[in-house]
Order: sequence, then C-alpha cells, then structure tokens
Amino acid sequence: MSYESSEEYDVVVIGGGHAGCEAALASSRMGMRTAMFLINMDTLANMPCNPSIGGTSKGHLVKEIDALGGQMGKNADKTFLQSKMLNTSKGPAVYSLRMQSDRKMYHIEMKKTVENAKNLDVYQAEITDIITDGNNKKIIGVKTKIGAIYKTKTVVIATGTYLKGMVIIGEVFYESGPDGVFPAKQLSDSLKEHGIFLRRFKTGTPARINIHNMDLNKMEVQKGDTNISLFSFENEENEVLRDRPQIDCYLTYTNEENTHKIILDNLDRSPIYSGKIKGIGPRYCPSIEDKVVRFRDKLRHQIFIEPLGKDTSEMYIQGMSSSMPEEVQIQMYRSLPGLEKAKLMRPAYAIEYDCIDSTMLNLNLEYKDIEGLFFAGQVNGSSGYEEAAAQGLMAGINAALKVQNKDPLILDRSEAYIGVLIDDLVTKGTNEPYRMMTSRAEYRLHLRQDNADLRLREKGYNIGLVSEEVYNKFLDKKEKIEKEIERIRNLNIYPTTETNSILASLGTNPIDKVYKASELLKRNEVKYENIIEMDGNDVNLPKAVKEEVEIQIKYEGYIKLQKEQIDEFKKLEERKLSQDIIYSDIKGLSLEARQKLDKQKPTSIGQASRISGISPSDISVLLIYLNQNKK
Amino acid sequence: MSTIAAIGTATGSSGINIIRISGKDSLNIINKIFSNKDKLCPNEIHYGKIIYNGENVDNVLVSYFKAPNSFTGEDIVEINCHGGTYIAKNILEIVLKCGARLAGPGEFTKRAFLNGKMDLSEAEATIDLINSKTNLEARIASSQMSGKLKDDIVSIRSKMIDILAHIDVNVDYPEYDYEQLSNDNISIFLEEEINRLKKLLSSYEEGKVIKEGVNVAILGRPNAGKSSLLNNLAQEDRAIVTDIEGTTRDVISETVNIGDLILNIFDTAGIRESKDEIEKIGIEKSFKILDKVDLVLYIIDPGKEIDEEEKNILSKIENKGLKIIYLINKMDKYEKTIFDTILNEINQNEEKEVILISAKENLGIEELKNRIKQMFLKDFLNNTSENVIVNSRHKDLIQKSLDMLFKAKEEINNSVPIDMVSISIKESARLLGQIIGEDIDLDVAKRVFDKFCIGK
Repeated sequence: MSYESSEEYDVVVIGGGHAGCEAALASSRMGMRTAMFLINMDTLANMPCNPSIGGTSKGHLVKEIDALGGQMGKNADKTFLQSKMLNTSKGPAVYSLRMQSDRKMYHIEMKKTVENAKNLDVYQAEITDIITDGNNKKIIGVKTKIGAIYKTKTVVIATGTYLKGMVIIGEVFYESGPDGVFPAKQLSDSLKEHGIFLRRFKTGTPARINIHNMDLNKMEVQKGDTNISLFSFENEENEVLRDRPQIDCYLTYTNEENTHKIILDNLDRSPIYSGKIKGIGPRYCPSIEDKVVRFRDKLRHQIFIEPLGKDTSEMYIQGMSSSMPEEVQIQMYRSLPGLEKAKLMRPAYAIEYDCIDSTMLNLNLEYKDIEGLFFAGQVNGSSGYEEAAAQGLMAGINAALKVQNKDPLILDRSEAYIGVLIDDLVTKGTNEPYRMMTSRAEYRLHLRQDNADLRLREKGYNIGLVSEEVYNKFLDKKEKIEKEIERIRNLNIYPTTETNSILASLGTNPIDKVYKASELLKRNEVKYENIIEMDGNDVNLPKAVKEEVEIQIKYEGYIKLQKEQIDEFKKLEERKLSQDIIYSDIKGLSLEARQKLDKQKPTSIGQASRISGISPSDISVLLIYLNQNKK
Repeated sequence: MSTIAAIGTATGSSGINIIRISGKDSLNIINKIFSNKDKLCPNEIHYGKIIYNGENVDNVLVSYFKAPNSFTGEDIVEINCHGGTYIAKNILEIVLKCGARLAGPGEFTKRAFLNGKMDLSEAEATIDLINSKTNLEARIASSQMSGKLKDDIVSIRSKMIDILAHIDVNVDYPEYDYEQLSNDNISIFLEEEINRLKKLLSSYEEGKVIKEGVNVAILGRPNAGKSSLLNNLAQEDRAIVTDIEGTTRDVISETVNIGDLILNIFDTAGIRESKDEIEKIGIEKSFKILDKVDLVLYIIDPGKEIDEEEKNILSKIENKGLKIIYLINKMDKYEKTIFDTILNEINQNEEKEVILISAKENLGIEELKNRIKQMFLKDFLNNTSENVIVNSRHKDLIQKSLDMLFKAKEEINNSVPIDMVSISIKESARLLGQIIGEDIDLDVAKRVFDKFCIGK
C-alpha cells in the first residue's frame, strides 16, 4: 500500500500555514531541497481567525521576521486593507503596526511566493507518519496518507490546530480542522508511537456575518492611518504599495440587558461551563461567555467588525468568539447595535487540538530526543499567526543549518521578541495557548520595531536568507543613522530669535546659550524635524533614518539603562552548561531540580534559572559545580 | 562528632548577629533556652526569647535546619539576635554552657565539606555571579526580613504592579476601552508610594544604629583633646571588637558601649588645612571617613581662637549634613567669658549642639552620652519602631527603588511617554522584588490576565 518516492529532501515541512510557509521558504532560500505538505492547497497561509497581521508585540515579531529574511511582512504589505500604527503616543518601544489583511489575497500572494521559490516543492497530501531510524533517535522520512514515503534529513512539524482537530459548537462536536478543512487524524498517533507526549489545547473564533445584514450607521467607524506604514524594511520607500484605498472597520458594543443576559441564561449550554471541553483555552483570548462570567461588573464589551477582504461581504466579529449553540449565538449577535438582522455565514466555534509540551524542545526548536525533528507554531502551544510564523522561520532556519552542519541560530531574550517567545515556550513552558505581549519582554525598549533590522539583518545575511543587495542597502542605512547621530551630537544650536520662537511654538523653554542639538532633541516636545528647522540645513535623509536618529538620541538615557540590564542578563546566559551533565548525580540539588534539569538540559545558567521550580540555591549549587569542574 | 557553636554572620553585610550551632545536640540545646521551642520545625523561623536562669536575655529569631538539609549537613540551629557584641557573646556563652563547644576556625565549612555539602570558599567565589542575577540572592536573603517589613514591601510593590499591569493593558490593547491611565492618576499613585518608601527608609537609620552602632568621628585641631576624649570614652567600657563583616575594623580605633548603644569611633588624623603632602593625605582620608559616619564630635580648644582655617573645616563638615556635637574642652581651665565668646562664634547662624566638657577630668561626659542616646534612640526609646529595616542591602534597594519613583515622577511632569515612565516604575518594583525575591515580569503578566478582560 505504500511506495517510495524518487524525491529526497533535506527539509520536509508538515503544514502550510503561517509557520509552515516561513519554514519552507527559509530552508529553500538557504539552498535546501525542501518539500511542504498540506492537507488542502487552498488553505495555504489561511487566516482562519482574525483577518489581520501585527498589533502590539505581534507587529514586532513581523518586523523581526522581515529583518531575518522571512516573508510575512512582505506578504502583508502586498495585501493589506487598512494600516494603523498603534500606541504612537505611548513611547517608541510600543509603537505597533497592525494591518487588516485581505484574507484571500494574502493566501494567493503567499501561494505564488511558495510556488515560485527555488528548491521548494509543495504537495497537497496529509502526512500520517514520521519515520525514524531503528533506535528512534533520528528522523529519516515521512509517509503520506496515500502511501508515498519521502526520505528526508529533517522534518518541521507545523500542524497548527489540525492534529485530531475537534470543532465544538454548543452540544455539537465533530472532527474538523479550522475553517471546515479536514483534520489530521493519524499523525498524532504516529507521534505518540515515537514517544512524543501530546496534550489538548483549545482556541476559538467568532462568527462571520454578511455586511449586507448590518446597519453600519449604528456603529462607530474605525479608519486606518493617513500616513500608511508598512511592515517590510524593503518597502521603506515603496510609495506604490502605500497608494491604496483603505477599507474601514466598525465598532459596536455588547450590552447588559440583552447580550449578557442571553449568555448567562444559556450558560448551561456552553460546552466550557458544562465541562464538555477539556482542552485548555487561553486567558487572554476568552470567549464572550468567559468575559461575561469573569468580568460581571463590566457593563459592555467592545466588538470590532473587520472586513475579510475587498471581494467579499464577510465580516469578522472581533471580541465575540464563542462555543455556544448556534441558535444562542444568533440571539447573542443580534443583540448588538447594528447586527439586529445578522445572519451567521459561519458560526463561531471552539476547536480542540493536540499539541506538544514545548519544554521537550531545544532552543533551536528541535525535539530533544529525536534528531532532525523540529516543531513550530500552534503545535508548540502558541497562538497567533505571527507567533507561528516566527517559530516557523526559526525552525526552517535551524533545520537548514542542521543539514549544513552549522551552529544553530538562537536569539536570546535581549535580542528579539522571537527570542523571548521561543525561550518562554522552551524554558518556561506554557499551560495555555501562548500569546506574545510586550509585557513579556524584559528589554522591550531595546526590542523596538523600528530597529529590528539593526538588531537582526546581519544575522539574516550571515545565514544566507538576506540577499547581498538588501544587505548592502541596510549597511547604507545603518551608516547614515550612525553618521547623523554623530552630527546631531556635535551640532550647535544658537540662541537666535528664530530658534527661540520655534521652541516657544513647541511649548518648551527658550535657550540663552549655545546648546548641542542632541540636548534639545532630548526635550519631550522637540522633534528631529524641529532641530533641522532650527539649524536651517536639511540633510535630506530617508524617513526611516530620521525616525531612528530621533529615537536613539531622545531616549538615549533609557536605552543605556536597558543595555546595562542586558549586560547583567548576558553574564548568566554566557555561563554555558554542557548537555552531558547528569544532574541526578549532583549533590546539593533539590530532587525537583535534578529531575527538571535532566529533562530540559538547559544550555546556560541563565536558562536554568528560568525553569519553573529551579530555586536560587539550586543555581548556586550549579555555579559551584561549574567552578569545581573547571579545575 | 561534637556539637559546635560560634558567632557567625549572615551572608552579605547584614548587621544582625547570628549564633550558629551545628551537630546532633543542636536541638537539645535550643530547647533548653528558647521560649518558643515547641514551634520549632525545620526550615522555619520563629520569634521568641532566649531565657537563661530565669532571665530574659534577648528577643531573637531562631531557625532550625534538619540534617542533612543544612549547610553542614548536620542539624543546625541559628539564633538571630540583636546586634552589639555583648548580646551575641552572652548568648554564645549560654549555648556553650548548655553543651556545645566553641567551633574552631573554619570548622563549619570543614563539616560541610566532609558531609558532601557545598564548599564555602567556592560559594563565595561564585557569589558575584549569583548577585548579578540579584533577585536570586534576594530569595535567599528574604528570610532575614521581619514579617511586618515584608508585608509593607509586598503591599507597596503590589500597588506598583497594579499600575504596571494597567499601563501594559493600555499598551497591549490600545483600542480597548479600558480607562487610559492619566498622568494625574499616576502622579497620585507615585506620591503615595514615595511617601511610604520614605517612611520605610527613615526606619533604617534607627534600625542600623541599633544593630550596627553609631559611627562616630572625633575631629578637632591637633591637641584639642581628641585622644583624651577617646580614652575617656574607651576606658570605661572597652567593647570587644566585633567580627561582624562590613564594620571596617581597620579604621575603627575603638568600639564603645554607652548603655544600649554602640559607638564605633573612627580613627582620624588631626584635621587642619595643610601644605605638607603627607599630612594632606591623612587629612583627605579623614574627610573620606566623614562619608561613613553618622555623628561628628568636634572638639574645640578654648585656648585657641577659631580662625578662618578652622571655620573652613567646620563649614566643610556642616555642608555634609552630618549630625555634629561641638565639645568645648578643658571647661575646668578657662573663664566663663571665653566660653561665651566661643559659643557666640559657633552659634552664629543657628543654634548648635554644644557641650562643655573636660575630657581629662571626666566632666560633661555623662551629658554627652545622654545627648547621643537621645539623638539616635529617640524612637527606639519610645518603642515605636516595630518596623525597621536592619539590612543595609535592603536599605540600598529601597533607596534605589525610591529614586526610581522620583525619576518616574519627574518624567510624568515632563510628559515623557507612558512606556518610558513604566520602565522607571518597573525598575522600582523590580528592586523591591529583589528584597522579597519576586520576579516582576511574571507578576505583571499575571496581573494583566487577572484584572483585565482582554482578547478577541
């Protein structure tokens, strides 16, 4: 019933979602013969939940993916319906770009990119088995449902919510992947046979409603920015992409008298409250019934209405995911102003799926016990397209580096949100679907979206994901930034009437002696453009350069403080722990520490200190152990 | 192996004295002398009294570590008593009378080594590394804190976390209709927490004085009578030199007890402006010492006019904001009018603490001692200071935490973006967290989930 394919691969990617696409594109671009398998070709890079890319901290991930040479940002730039920079008044570290995306166009554009990629084959096929060597220590191939066996050196599993996917709508349960696609029913069993422990997580999505059944006049219009920002650093000066009509979103609210009452009256029919859903759902992404129950004193909840695309009337009802029975859902949605006549084109549903315990991975996302087997995305217990794409990119890169016999690319917590994401998953683990948040990043002032290229471009170039041309352009930008910072630091601003009238118009104190431009720029009210105005000599730099110069000078003191904290952090990260240490033999470690350390095999003292249950005294014992073994 | 005991010190530079007992009889010994012995169980700290021969010796904290889970691998009892070598020495003697023997140098370490426990010297070698992730250290040290102080810090920090979580929600969910924190809200919060931290800090001076003593410099021109005063203070009750780490013994010439109070008297070269290079170094050193002292006793020789040079020196000292008691020496030798002239001279700008003494004839010394006690033990004597910071590391952290709140306040006043302000508040909370050993990032994330309704 099976046959051996004549094709052999360096990297096989299972899954064609946001993680799978990044993984496959990364490894193929790094010269690896790569194959991507997905159950349905028409769901490649699908957005089964919200039709948007980016947002707080997720926007940072997209920028970082882009800086390393990934695809998500470019694809979003090509297909956005609305672009909005969030948090612009709250400080540069938390500026976050979010785009409403055209779901279908996003799929089509990504599919084109995948199809056109060199070294990359894409197949519609369900992978039912992974194949390892005799000792189950090393991956050697995969098998499709039809029986084709492909030999490969590495595998990236990026199955999203497909593994034993189970959709739940009220009392109705059925096996399904997201958006009505077939689930992957057999791969779970194969993983278990190879000793991989699986757990059940749950997530959910709201209904899609036809815009023609809505009364938009009863809602608030939500517009995009007039000055459009894009994700990709390569599009910094691309005016063509910016020149596009934007589509509006809308805002409406739930209400206590109707919406909340309907929910509370029907709570016994909610599969979560009746105990039928066993999977663990995310706290930060609660269903509307969760919100109403947990936050009873909140009189109304915001509901955003977002378009799925320019060629469709389907609207996404953000804020109202649910697993209530369909008839209850209809009542719920209709209780919202503007949705009185709503018909559910697609009902809201919850979905349960198998995922792994991410602490069984190394920081390169390779499974600890099976060489060459990588995991990325929701199957690792994360949630979100951007989180998935970030892991996919890193898994694809590291699978390729593995085949090339090179050191893995590991970003630490001080280098990138991607580093925080992966370290959180691998070191701390997660008991619920994990979402990126700015508050998870200790060094967020350094991990800004504006400097993602300064942080990561070179790494992308070194592994061969960033082209020579793009890299040279980056070097040029970097040099311009450095030179301009130097110039502003040494630039004298004289206390002329013009200068003081500019300062007065900005609402800040006049000057009575010569100031360095950088000193004035540190005043909260003063922008880079004002300095240029006072100086009267426009050096005519690209917008991105100006922004970077302004941020770096304006927040110099804070950035310096953060750098010091990073240095402290690095000290413990750089105390490496060998993978050969047998922790159960180390006297003085607590029993719990021995077990956890033996299981997780941290690579550094710093990583060990973040494992839950490892106490400070365990860490001091480890330090002593390291010192003793040095002698 | 016999049971050994010695005065140990806590890791770091805390001023609490610890009497450590190690060996199989540790528990028997403490049971004989501890009022709260019934409560003792492993790895807990209990408050109680050391009572010997019916006498109340000291209020102490006692911890018990059961073999093999202790530093030496044997049963260990640790008695945390008040500072001042008398008390510690007293308690040690009682412990020895109850059956322990005095530990030899390095004997605890030796036992730890023999029992396969960590080697102290190596622990010390690595302490810097541990400190670099300072909240780790804090988790160890947190046990040294009084419950009340801990409660206060937990409560202040919790307020900070509330604010941080609120800021983070505003930042992470910018389009949701959570009340956006206004600068006014944050200002009010900052003001409240600043006051609470200030109050805590003021308790430190008191606490430190009780545990570590008052650091005193005796200054004055050569031959004003410094050494006579020193001898006078010292002869009466020459204290045993402590082994407490951190009291820099090399510069303390004498440690003197006056009642409950310890005076650590720092050796100083005679201060006067000098052109002689070598003498200059000595004088600079004396001024350096002023950074460490709490009190300056400045002796004036009435036989010599207070000249410009001396005035200069005095204003230098005064500018440091130290407490100063002026002592006009040789009161038995001169006419009252001379003293009045000098008093006028000293009190020119404001009323100063001045005492007439005769160091040689032991006149005015009692008054001096009482003044010092009043200066430093006011609250303690009134018994109002339940909640004192005793650990200088804790004090430093609280001070830094306070500084960060001041910074945040200034930022708010300057309309710095909220995310920047949150960095200062977060740093402030992180520093407090080091005292109680909590990780700020986890806490904030958790609070966000607990308090706010967010998500798609």
